[in-house]
Amino acid sequence: MSVPKVKWDWEITSQTSYWGASLRELWAFRHLLEGLVKRNFLLRYQQTVLGPFWILFPPLLTLVTYVLVFGKLVGIPTGTLPPVLFYFAGIILWSFFNDSFTGTATTFRDNVHLFSKVYFPRIIIPLSVIHTQLYNFLIQFLLMLLLVAYYWLFQDLRPTLSITVMWFPVVVLATALLALGMGLFFSVLTAKYRDMGYVISLGVRLLMYVTPVIYPMSAVPEKVRWLVQLNPLSPLFEAFRLSLLGEGTVSPWQLTYSVLFTVVFFGAALLLFNKQGDKLIDVV
Amino acid sequence: MAEKIIQVENISKLYRLGTIGTGSFRQDLQWWWNLYVMGKKDPFFHLDKTAPPGVVADQIWALRDVSFDVKQGESMGIVGSNGSGKSTLLKIISRIVKPTTGVVRGRGKVSSLLEVGTGFNKELTGRENIYISGYILGMNKVEVAAKFDEIVAFSGIEEFVDTPVKRYSSGMYVRLAFAVAAHLEPDILIVDEVLAVGDADFQKKCLGKMREVSQAEGRTILFVSHNMQAVNTLCDRAIWLNKGQMLEMGPSSAVVNKYIASLQKLQLGQKWQTPQEAPGNKYIRFKQVELIPHVEQSDGVIDVRTPLTVKFQFWNMLEEMSLNVGIVLYSYTGDCIFDLLSPTLHCHTGLVEGECTIPGNFLNDGSYYITLTIAKEASIPVYNLDECLSFDVEDYRADICYFEKWWGAVRPKFPFKLVNHQEAYQIIR
Repeated sequence: MSVPKVKWDWEITSQTSYWGASLRELWAFRHLLEGLVKRNFLLRYQQTVLGPFWILFPPLLTLVTYVLVFGKLVGIPTGTLPPVLFYFAGIILWSFFNDSFTGTATTFRDNVHLFSKVYFPRIIIPLSVIHTQLYNFLIQFLLMLLLVAYYWLFQDLRPTLSITVMWFPVVVLATALLALGMGLFFSVLTAKYRDMGYVISLGVRLLMYVTPVIYPMSAVPEKVRWLVQLNPLSPLFEAFRLSLLGEGTVSPWQLTYSVLFTVVFFGAALLLFNKQGDKLIDVV
Repeated sequence: MAEKIIQVENISKLYRLGTIGTGSFRQDLQWWWNLYVMGKKDPFFHLDKTAPPGVVADQIWALRDVSFDVKQGESMGIVGSNGSGKSTLLKIISRIVKPTTGVVRGRGKVSSLLEVGTGFNKELTGRENIYISGYILGMNKVEVAAKFDEIVAFSGIEEFVDTPVKRYSSGMYVRLAFAVAAHLEPDILIVDEVLAVGDADFQKKCLGKMREVSQAEGRTILFVSHNMQAVNTLCDRAIWLNKGQMLEMGPSSAVVNKYIASLQKLQLGQKWQTPQEAPGNKYIRFKQVELIPHVEQSDGVIDVRTPLTVKFQFWNMLEEMSLNVGIVLYSYTGDCIFDLLSPTLHCHTGLVEGECTIPGNFLNDGSYYITLTIAKEASIPVYNLDECLSFDVEDYRADICYFEKWWGAVRPKFPFKLVNHQEAYQIIR
């Protein structure tokens, strides 16, 4: 074979790369990402009466339920924090994780009509889901700040603003990354095995119970605490409450464990997604 | 000589039939264990180069060792019957599916239009869809914004641009979707059978736009179509795929003609040795019927220019009888195009022979069949040899940029005079 004299821009072979799309390529498709985020918003609230207020209603309704059931009925201690703030912090971070994860876990299955007709870096779709959820989360977070302000002004809540506030962005970023990583990992599986869809919806519900969403870490009996602490989400939830409300049981080591786990898992999932992504279209 | 912009080298694509993904997780684990841990051969997937093309056990070669180059600014047509691998080839070049073996190399930005309305969402308005569809096809914000008015004008939906597309008529939907794609500015445009949708007027518009893109703007186009006239006119070169293998590559008219010739279901002649086996009755037995196309070009395609001679012979067992033979030409829909009656001939027992030539530039393109009728005493039917000949007439249009089906039962070329009198114009002024 003679060496080609012309320089080629791209090459398609049977090999799939672990690295996926280059950053330059992703940059070229940034408008698609933006457009998809916008589309997700528009679609969700098209022809609804309340429109974007639907971002706030589900967590508020969940809050009422949790306060009544777990707070009043079951009587789970929430430390010195008012139950409303305690639960709301758990709810919004959990729904952010939950929606991001379940939204990305079926990427291939849900977008097969698109993926089989046009090429763009596949990672754009899960990224757009995470972005959309991040905006939702930020809106809910603003409501949370209002609640905190209310308790601070009219009740005797005196959160001590300390250095732990610095953890807030770390926590949100790590949660997003973990959700994306898990989503990417499972999107490969759901494409191949339809049973995975059921496993995910069941598994994510069970996962909530080993995450300090409706209870504080301090309320967990010593014997089973290791189980909750093994969950990389747990330190994130505790750190989230600690950074905003000033109460949470988490050591820097636990948080480091969480972040390290997240980064490693995300990296591995991304490689798997890239490697499998091109082949999956034959299988979905 | 223009530079190569796409180079396709020995592309093959193998699909597994049946439960793709082999079904269950357990089987996959088993497969993985055998392959990587035990070092055995993959029981499902071995590249047997010597196996014949087509279906082998539970796998099918959708493409087999296809190689070709496309040069900068060239438009390349891909023809072939259904399931010949055309779409798979386009999908590989568009990076949607991976080839099983082989390499595709290329330069520049590729946009593929494998379907009209990719990424469209029925709930969104026309405006929003233009943007999102543009982004998906690889445009950026500035490009879409710059082309926005042009796209809307091309699709003719000005008043509805802020209405959700679910309220559009299907025609408007298709027009808008194509308009977005038509205003892409890639270096390489890949187009699959998308012109099959929309009305004739719109198809004309689309083909015109593609022509503009390929010829005026000098972009490279890969084009799959079943509209042979479009391939012929739009493309410089063409590839003929059959069951995943490349049968022919060359100038589009030659490839298209060969492809058409392979498709024509011809029955150009029938012959019977003895009167006993021949069709007929106690009065008449046919010996031979034959259709001879007077084809000038070597590929043997009957097109609208080709004169056709019908020849027939029959044994006559009627003594002293005047006979007429009729040639009845039907279109494939069963409409009679003409019923041509021979002059009356006074016959004795023995062989009767006749021939008649249908001139070129008379029939329209389409499929036809011929029935021969024999009558005695000018009116009493003796025997009809039904559908004894069948043939296809292909389209031929030199230098006419008009791709729709030519109207009319026939397409004669009668002398037509068109004169320009300049003096008359002077008088009007």
